[in-house]
Amino acid sequence: MRPTPTDGPDPAPAVRVQGVSKRYGDRQAVDDVSLDIHRGEFFGLLGPNGAGKSTLVEIMEGLRQADSGSVALFGEPPWPRNTALLPRLGVQTQSSAFFVRQTAHEHLRTVAALYGVARAAVDTTLESVGLTEQRDVQVESLSGGQRQRLAIASALVHGPELIFLDEPTAALDPQARRALWEVLRALKAEGRTIVYTTHHLDEAEALCDRIAILVDGKVAVTDSPHNLVGASEAPSRLMLPLGRLDEQQAAAISGVDRVTVQGGSLVLETRTAGKVLSAVDQLTGLDGVQTRTASLEDVYLDLTARLTSAPRSPLRTAETTEHQP
Amino acid sequence: MSAYAALTGAGYRAQVRDKTTLFFTFAFPLLFLVVFGLIFRGQDVEQSGLSYLSYTASGVLSWGVANAAVFGIAFTLMQWRTDDILRLIRMSPAPLSAVIGSRYALALVVGAVQSLLFVGVAMLPLFGLEPASGWPLLIPVMVLGITTFLLLGVIIGSFANTPESVAAVANFLMLPMAFLSGSFFPLDAMPDWLQKISLVMPLRYLNDAVSHALTGRGDLSDVTVGCAGLAVFAVVFGAVAVKTFRWTRSS
Repeated sequence: MRPTPTDGPDPAPAVRVQGVSKRYGDRQAVDDVSLDIHRGEFFGLLGPNGAGKSTLVEIMEGLRQADSGSVALFGEPPWPRNTALLPRLGVQTQSSAFFVRQTAHEHLRTVAALYGVARAAVDTTLESVGLTEQRDVQVESLSGGQRQRLAIASALVHGPELIFLDEPTAALDPQARRALWEVLRALKAEGRTIVYTTHHLDEAEALCDRIAILVDGKVAVTDSPHNLVGASEAPSRLMLPLGRLDEQQAAAISGVDRVTVQGGSLVLETRTAGKVLSAVDQLTGLDGVQTRTASLEDVYLDLTARLTSAPRSPLRTAETTEHQP
Repeated sequence: MSAYAALTGAGYRAQVRDKTTLFFTFAFPLLFLVVFGLIFRGQDVEQSGLSYLSYTASGVLSWGVANAAVFGIAFTLMQWRTDDILRLIRMSPAPLSAVIGSRYALALVVGAVQSLLFVGVAMLPLFGLEPASGWPLLIPVMVLGITTFLLLGVIIGSFANTPESVAAVANFLMLPMAFLSGSFFPLDAMPDWLQKISLVMPLRYLNDAVSHALTGRGDLSDVTVGCAGLAVFAVVFGAVAVKTFRWTRSS
């Protein structure tokens, strides 16, 4: 089943959340959230633990009812259980959601039958997540990464248009993670919409068209990773091999905000990288010097720290020596 | 393949691949038959002239079948909710009736095998059970009994969140009910008020109906009244089950 984006001149967005709030006791889990996710978009939902991501996603999926506000998927409300809408959605569950004492193939066959999907889809889906060799292995004997891939396959077997994935690469090794990225990019290329919850900022940067960062139940920002990084004031970092400059000399360079020693490098943080680079060039030459521009992770940490007004992660400073110029 | 057929298939495979549970599901009522058979061999129940064993055989059989129906679905629903399998089904268009229906089909098969095994063993010379002429009535009676107790199990499975609580709640209901409904001891031997209390217990109606069908005790009205009683409880349990069913822990 291919998604059909031609529902008239102005089709409803894949997801439209308007003014959604949800309270548990005296905790405001989701606080007046509004966002649109367009058809065919790869949308990342980021935020610290307890920021309300899971609650918001469950409200979008129609598993929970919002206290106020509205949700529409392709223009239809997902709550209460909307069996006309459900075949268009794919939801990844936790990796224990397998029918017991079944093989991978039997499990996926059962899931496919829940959607009334032909059996041929089972083999192709198993192949797409790289589990063809494990088709006759009982789910209890699969490794953590294999279980995770089977959970993803369970969300994809019926060819949904809108796919919700929750930390899909958490238990995967680097090879499997990259392989899954390719699966996800192929899904996007087919025009499917993906809502992606993750803690891996590099992943969000590599995959997502847009991301929303949720802090304390509110959407702090929604934009493309590119714009977020571009607009951020997070500093770039120049990394010099140790011994080239001492810390006092480095701190004295105009434009350098902070000097630290990390992982065998002298790290210069600056917001005027060009100027500092030419100064370093004159002092020691640029051999072996690396530059790191701000990443989405820096932007994310900066933003969440400011909004939760929590102190910055102590790890970052505890392992380094500091000189404030 | 329909959702119902797929779920039944998956449930069947899960059941036959768990040899330990399978064995004890069928061995449990037999154990009681052997124990009571050895204790009361050769004794007659007062007045009726029926052997004590033929009395207990029907009581133990109906209790064993009811027990399996309650525990089977209660454990499954609790486990499926804990493992997010119910959530997975909830997010598919499959109807709730496919979930309950598949478990119902499996429970009927378990009940049929239990009954055949049990009656077969009870007919051995050691126990000497002679089925009454109306024994085919056992089939509709057992189907109705399994329906009623399965629906009770659905309710328990919706409330309980751990295996321990399923066992605690189900035992709390089923064990006293077995004694108070006359599964293990004749009701005639109990005080009048206790006999009256038994009238609000579904197992009492299953016992009476099975007892007439299998051993010829009482008359045909025991079967009709028993079935009517079971049907009333099935409707009540069914209504409560639909009202209290939860797809996920938080819903």
